[in-house]
Amino acid sequence: MRLPTLVRTKPEAPGVHAEPFWSFRPQSDREAGDAIVSNFALHWFPAKISKASMAWSYSFWLGTISAALFFLLILSGLPLLFLYVPSVERAYQSVKDIEFVVTFGSWIRAVHRISAHLMVIAVALHLIRVFLTGAYKNGAGRGQRRQINWVIGVVMFLVTLFLSFTGYLLPWDQLAFWAVTVGTNIASSIPVIGPDVRELMIGGRAIEQATLIRFYVLHIIVLPGLLGGLFAYHMWRVRKDGGLARADAESVLESARPVAVVPTKTYTLLGVARGTAPAVTAKSIEAPETTVNAVPDLVRRAAIATLGTIAVVSIMSVFIASPLEEPANALVTPNPAKAPWYFLWLQEIVTDTTIRIGSFTLNGAFVGGVILPGLLVGLMTIWPWLDRSSSLAAGVWLPRSRRTQNIVFLLIIVFVLALTFVGMVLRGPYWNIYWPWEAWPEIPGRI
Amino acid sequence: MEKRTNSPYPRIDRLIMAGIGIVLVIGTVLFIWSDRAHDWRYYQMEFRQMVAEKFGDDKAVKLPSGVQQIWVADLSRADRCVTCHQATTYKGFESAEQPYRTHPPEPLKQHPIEEFGCTSCHGGQGWAIDTAAAHGEVAHWEEPLLSRSLGESYTLAGNKNALMQMNCNTCHRFDRQTPGAGAINLAKSLVNEKGCRACHVINGFGGSIGPDLTAVGEKPPEQYEMSRLSGQRSAFAWHVAHFKDPRALSEGTVMPNFNFSSEQAQSLAMLMLSWKRNDVPAKYVAGAPRTDPRSAEELQAEAAMKNGPGGWFVQTGCFVCHSISSLGVKSPAQIGPDLSTAVEDVQSRFGVTVDQFLANPTGTMSVVLTRQIVLTPEQKQIAIQKLRDAFAAYQKQRGAAQTTVSGQ
Repeated sequence: MRLPTLVRTKPEAPGVHAEPFWSFRPQSDREAGDAIVSNFALHWFPAKISKASMAWSYSFWLGTISAALFFLLILSGLPLLFLYVPSVERAYQSVKDIEFVVTFGSWIRAVHRISAHLMVIAVALHLIRVFLTGAYKNGAGRGQRRQINWVIGVVMFLVTLFLSFTGYLLPWDQLAFWAVTVGTNIASSIPVIGPDVRELMIGGRAIEQATLIRFYVLHIIVLPGLLGGLFAYHMWRVRKDGGLARADAESVLESARPVAVVPTKTYTLLGVARGTAPAVTAKSIEAPETTVNAVPDLVRRAAIATLGTIAVVSIMSVFIASPLEEPANALVTPNPAKAPWYFLWLQEIVTDTTIRIGSFTLNGAFVGGVILPGLLVGLMTIWPWLDRSSSLAAGVWLPRSRRTQNIVFLLIIVFVLALTFVGMVLRGPYWNIYWPWEAWPEIPGRI
Repeated sequence: MEKRTNSPYPRIDRLIMAGIGIVLVIGTVLFIWSDRAHDWRYYQMEFRQMVAEKFGDDKAVKLPSGVQQIWVADLSRADRCVTCHQATTYKGFESAEQPYRTHPPEPLKQHPIEEFGCTSCHGGQGWAIDTAAAHGEVAHWEEPLLSRSLGESYTLAGNKNALMQMNCNTCHRFDRQTPGAGAINLAKSLVNEKGCRACHVINGFGGSIGPDLTAVGEKPPEQYEMSRLSGQRSAFAWHVAHFKDPRALSEGTVMPNFNFSSEQAQSLAMLMLSWKRNDVPAKYVAGAPRTDPRSAEELQAEAAMKNGPGGWFVQTGCFVCHSISSLGVKSPAQIGPDLSTAVEDVQSRFGVTVDQFLANPTGTMSVVLTRQIVLTPEQKQIAIQKLRDAFAAYQKQRGAAQTTVSGQ
């Protein structure tokens, strides 16, 4: 990338860069730092990163993978925007055309769909990783607010789910129509305001054109914009909190040895702000043996995670066709009618908590569809303030001091996964249990 | 010059990066290949060769290439069948194998392909460009190609191609007889002959004992009670079995068993599935009757029955099962005994008078009179009076007949 003909001059003042290009093969630390500062795309990267944060086995790079999937979704969504018609008369037909005659159409649609499903998984795994490593905890640095980033992350997870859910309706086929019917019916079970909530969601009393345009605008503008904004803030907070919690854990270990505080520069704006930024107090953060330059090492790994994700999605999309069922029909309920897979554990709880005593039915939709997920999300949101474990447990996988909460958390995850499995695989017509080796009754055709 | 901090990563990470680069290239090749790999490319090449052999290279180069479609805006149909079936309107391949065969010209004269497309008659999925999807032999497509092979899979008794006639009847619904639609014509004549309208509303008019059949073809297959059906499970198979033995499929039905042959039952099932609420643009059915036409004689006979002395039995619905011959009422189904002699007949069959029997019916009539034809006490009095009138008329006619005989 470095243009050899350019005369390399020393910067006259900090922040002034004589060269229009930067190097991905820096010869010195200064050049490596310059590559970050003078590159717009990398301006949110740190100049140096601890080796501990770089490890594959600490974060599994799930955040980067989630971001890569979001990027792929925007990229694959763009051509679909040109082709898809958000009208109940033409939506289905336009998706058929994307499938059959648009060049690369079925592949683009598959990329979009598979990325969406994988993103739900990646974001959920990222959240699980952050919980199990206690990465929402503040470590050695001063002024850290990692719990805020955790709350932002929980909101981003919910936005991801809602993004996927709104996209589910757009093909306007039976799968879409009934998954959204099941999903929005759960919302209507909230006492008193339930029916109004549903009406607000679907723009009326029935899933119709008003619902389609509502979900469409949410799906293509509102939610991606929201997620993009939250993403930027999420990353900004990571930097303000001094990077991954792992780096804190590392610096604490290092500081056990008698190492002199590195008289390093302050990162605050022109030194005007009082006090020091978090990274400064971490003793080893600048130490040469524990860090590497972000250019090229961090950039290369981020590229590996991003391009690797793209490669996997690209190949999966060749072999996994996207479903498109019969056109939406409010008069014919498919049997069974299932919510999107990530809500199936809720649908399962709704079924299991619906109690019938004689002619009296206690509807489980409120318990399973509202109370329980509301409680779980609420608890998850405030957990950083309830977790009283030592700051030494921040950024450490399954530490002893957080054993109980990690076990309970994992049990809840296993419970959710088990219910999802039952809903996805075992539930058949009339919501009866069918084992994988049992055939479902044959669904009749017309002719 | 400052030195750079040592890094342990480049050696292994560069390798991984190279590996991912290779996978990306493979992925790209794969998706480009999968987008290009379609049977129609082969079929177009093959047809080009056939044309070149038969008519010369200059004709062959003029053939269109790439995905072709017939867009019929009025019917919202984009039929891409002609992508493979390039010979459809190309004369000279009348006896070639499909997909290279020329379409028989006769039906296309009345139904130009530009105006009707392909799927409005043949069924199938016009949007698709791969054989299985286009022929509708895939999940989640409910309008399969109404082909000979589908007819064979149902072991159609008559013409194996007959299933396609269902689609003819979308526009030709109100025709008495449609040239070329033998099965549908047979079914229509059966509908009139057997008097289905006595119980069912068909094309907007008829009785109310059975379900309205005007749009029965739209009933989703999921809503049929299939548990008693053996063999193929489809709406079509259900109707065939139901016509052959109504009680076997639908317990407690009052629909009589007409002992239809396989061909009759299959034709009737096709007619049933063709009855859909289909909005055909007006210009497609210009000049065709818009309601079920009835001849003057038929209207006259119906009026005579309704307004004659037996009119009460027609309006009440008794005539569905019973003729009252002495009053000129003829039952289409003729399941029950003639009511002309009911006054005498009830006494001998049940040992009670007509009055008592109507007050406390037994057997089939107890079901009919509590579910299908519910009469108030006043109506029952009228019924008794009408039955007496019928018997009187019967005796009078018999007396007249005997007089004629003895007078000879």
